[in-house]
Amino acid sequence: MHRLLSAALAVIAGSLFLFGCGEETSGNLPGAGSETVYYSQTNPIRGLDPASAGEVSSSLAIARIYEGLLEYDYLARPYKVKPLLAEALPDISDDGLVYTFKIRKGIYFHDDPCFPDGQGRELVAEDFIYSIKRIADVKNVSSGFWAYNNRILGINDFHEASKSKEPTDYDAEVEGLRALDDYTLQISLTDPYPQLLYILAMHYAFAVPREAVEFYGQDFVNHPVGTGPYELVEWRRNSRIEFERSPKWAETGRVELYPTHGTPEDAAAGLLKDAGQQLPFIDRMVQYVIEDSTTAWMMFLSGQLGASAISRDNWDEVITGDKQLNDSLGERGIDLISAPTLDVFYIGFNWDDPVVGENADPEQNERNKKLRQALSCAYDFDQMNQFMNYRLHPLGGPIPQPLAGSLKKPSPYAFDLEKARQLLVEAGYPEGVDPETGKRLELSIELGSADSNTRQSMELMADMYQKIGIVLKASYNTWPSFIEKMNRRQAQMFRLGWVADYPDAENFLQLFYSKNESPGPNHSNYRNAEIDKMYEQIRTLQDTPERTAIYEDMAEIIVEDSPWIFLFQPMSYALKHSWLENYVPHDFPYGMGKYRRINNETREQWFKSYDDTKLDMTGRE
Amino acid sequence: MKSKSQSLWGDAWRRLKKNRLAMFCLGLVIFFTLLAVYGEIIYRYHEIRDITPSYQLTNLDAAYEAPSSSHWMGTDGLGRDVMARLVQGVRIAYKVGIITSMIAIPIGVILGCLAGFFGGKVDDFIVWLYSTFASMPGLLFILAIAMVVPDRGLLGVYLGIGLTTWVGLCRLVRGEVMKHKEQTYVQAAKALGLGSGRIMFKHILPNISHVIIVTFSLRFPAAVGTEVIMSFLGIGVQGEPSWGLMIDSARMRLWQGMWWEMTFVTIALFLLVLAFNLLGDALRDALDPRLND
Repeated sequence: MHRLLSAALAVIAGSLFLFGCGEETSGNLPGAGSETVYYSQTNPIRGLDPASAGEVSSSLAIARIYEGLLEYDYLARPYKVKPLLAEALPDISDDGLVYTFKIRKGIYFHDDPCFPDGQGRELVAEDFIYSIKRIADVKNVSSGFWAYNNRILGINDFHEASKSKEPTDYDAEVEGLRALDDYTLQISLTDPYPQLLYILAMHYAFAVPREAVEFYGQDFVNHPVGTGPYELVEWRRNSRIEFERSPKWAETGRVELYPTHGTPEDAAAGLLKDAGQQLPFIDRMVQYVIEDSTTAWMMFLSGQLGASAISRDNWDEVITGDKQLNDSLGERGIDLISAPTLDVFYIGFNWDDPVVGENADPEQNERNKKLRQALSCAYDFDQMNQFMNYRLHPLGGPIPQPLAGSLKKPSPYAFDLEKARQLLVEAGYPEGVDPETGKRLELSIELGSADSNTRQSMELMADMYQKIGIVLKASYNTWPSFIEKMNRRQAQMFRLGWVADYPDAENFLQLFYSKNESPGPNHSNYRNAEIDKMYEQIRTLQDTPERTAIYEDMAEIIVEDSPWIFLFQPMSYALKHSWLENYVPHDFPYGMGKYRRINNETREQWFKSYDDTKLDMTGRE
Repeated sequence: MKSKSQSLWGDAWRRLKKNRLAMFCLGLVIFFTLLAVYGEIIYRYHEIRDITPSYQLTNLDAAYEAPSSSHWMGTDGLGRDVMARLVQGVRIAYKVGIITSMIAIPIGVILGCLAGFFGGKVDDFIVWLYSTFASMPGLLFILAIAMVVPDRGLLGVYLGIGLTTWVGLCRLVRGEVMKHKEQTYVQAAKALGLGSGRIMFKHILPNISHVIIVTFSLRFPAAVGTEVIMSFLGIGVQGEPSWGLMIDSARMRLWQGMWWEMTFVTIALFLLVLAFNLLGDALRDALDPRLND
């Protein structure tokens, strides 16, 4: 999913680091009239159609309105999915190929003019079949077909058929998608697909009513009609989006409760105060697109935003040496929330490139590998970490912690200048000098943004490489032209991030599968028959120690081949005000706005006590 | 002809010398020019020796140091000396000012001469052309050109600014040429049967060269300013210490009291632009024959 786009976003966000994925929520003071009291920040949203959306900000908005069969448990760690529109987790046949879901009765779509007499109808199994077919329909240009590609029986035939000029026939049968009755959905697979349950929690499996798609046509991206806790009130592109609690839940008597089970730490953090209460808590949410981090920061300090990231430039004023908040922020009840993320940042080498990629001549190929390894060895994580205010985790391989399969021992190509120089000699570039030109070897790296953070971090990298005698030339692109270069395989090196789609290392290993090469997510165009074979093996394996062993083997081969320089895994740090309750960071925070609560009493109190003494930019009085 | 032109320049210099402010600005311009030459020498030296110059070397432990005796203008976010980068910034600014002039001035002069001299259809076409250029919003046009240039960076800046800023000069030259065309020395040259090219560029052009000099000194700071804006917006200079980039990276920390990078760069930019503008004005006064005393 968030292949390119969220990867992009993470890179663009740079200092923001997708903290909690912008899941600040907002509400309305009772009796405060229609005046919007809370604002919150979001990145630009491109559309509200679950089939076409691909970036984090859109997914978050979509997940307030639409729902799927399954969702992530809010408090359970490690992450776990639980039924949402399904009555229970599915019955899975013994061979792991047939999933049978019972769908909850009494779930209704929001009222909308697309339905006869404007009343939202009941959700049926056929809606899921229709929604999954929409993902496979070429005409929808969905970013999510990879999730079902070659997985569901007959879905590829549907995909092929939709390429014709005729309007796609949605009545065409897909063998693997069957509604046994209105409340029973059966999904049949070509091979076992242990990640299917995670996929079904993503927006590519959210239930979309056919009436709405046909009624609105092209305009459907602006008119979401779902079953979720919120309805869209207004969406002004690149400016503002507003949601309101859907009255349909109360009308139809739908019961959704706040989780009652949590760890003692959760209880101590006040996360279980609302246990067993009806969701959602917030009546109205307004989010503004604020791209300037300084503006967002000042709005947070003045209480206009419930939560905020901490930008790189604010960091050392706001956070003390031992990672605590400075006093005046702490005094005001602002909490610092930190959590590791499942995001990975890397510099990729293009396998098509004659210097850093694969070479037909086996000797040259080996030398190119040494060069990549040398570049890995010359990357000084500690410096990058210092530059980023010590907010990064080192990353030793393709799989981030704490996923099963992440490398236990440090990478053999971690920072080591001596080793880097040695490897350079073996690669045929002693002291970095290219024997052909007699000058230092020059490598170029493509970036997807030109902001000052990106630029400074690249100047830092260039300095790391000049230490071993290599010149790194950065080329800054706009995001679309960056993607274009990726897809045309024109980059020699590039920096990207990857945001996990589900908590399974398979999601990261697919980035090295040769059939996923550009324009797929394998932007390095990495090709290794051994990795391909192992990947094909694990993609159908259930979670067992054997699978973890294969993950580890794959990671080791990839580290040795070094198609990437593994940069870091960021920690997310966010600040929130005391009145924003039930706030837990989650790597897949889609649809979790319904658990959050805005405590208006606390908030009013806060404004009364602090309205007169404003904080300056450093968060001090 | 020759002695007359010399006396014009001698006269102008005499008048310029009397203007104290103009002489001060001339001094500043010479100072900046020397800095630019020095910066270029440093840059070339490192390029020929194939080593990374010291103004690119980072040292995070020395980041954001206030001005001191070891770093007169402090250090930036990556611990690099602001003064060394500032001098490189002068080099880039000069390059932009000079190279864009070398693109814009010939276009303006040649088109202006052709239009003014031939009149008729040629004039109509050239007037139409520069009116079209002039009617497009300047900065947007420059940004568009810079985005199209395949390898972004200085080349985009040169072309963007160079190809859009010839209109004013073209108008001036056209007017001047029209005026001179009617004068007796041109009539005489025509009567002698000289070619149009020769009359335009050998006879008329030297007589309007003061217009070009003044235009150069006024458009130079404008080009530098535009380059700073482009680099600030992220579509200008890449990987080299331009003033625009320095201002962009300094602005995030300004409120934390890290004022030096922003302040010194802004002062340098201010002085450069001011000096060129005042000098340009003074030159115009000095060269204007109507102000003859």
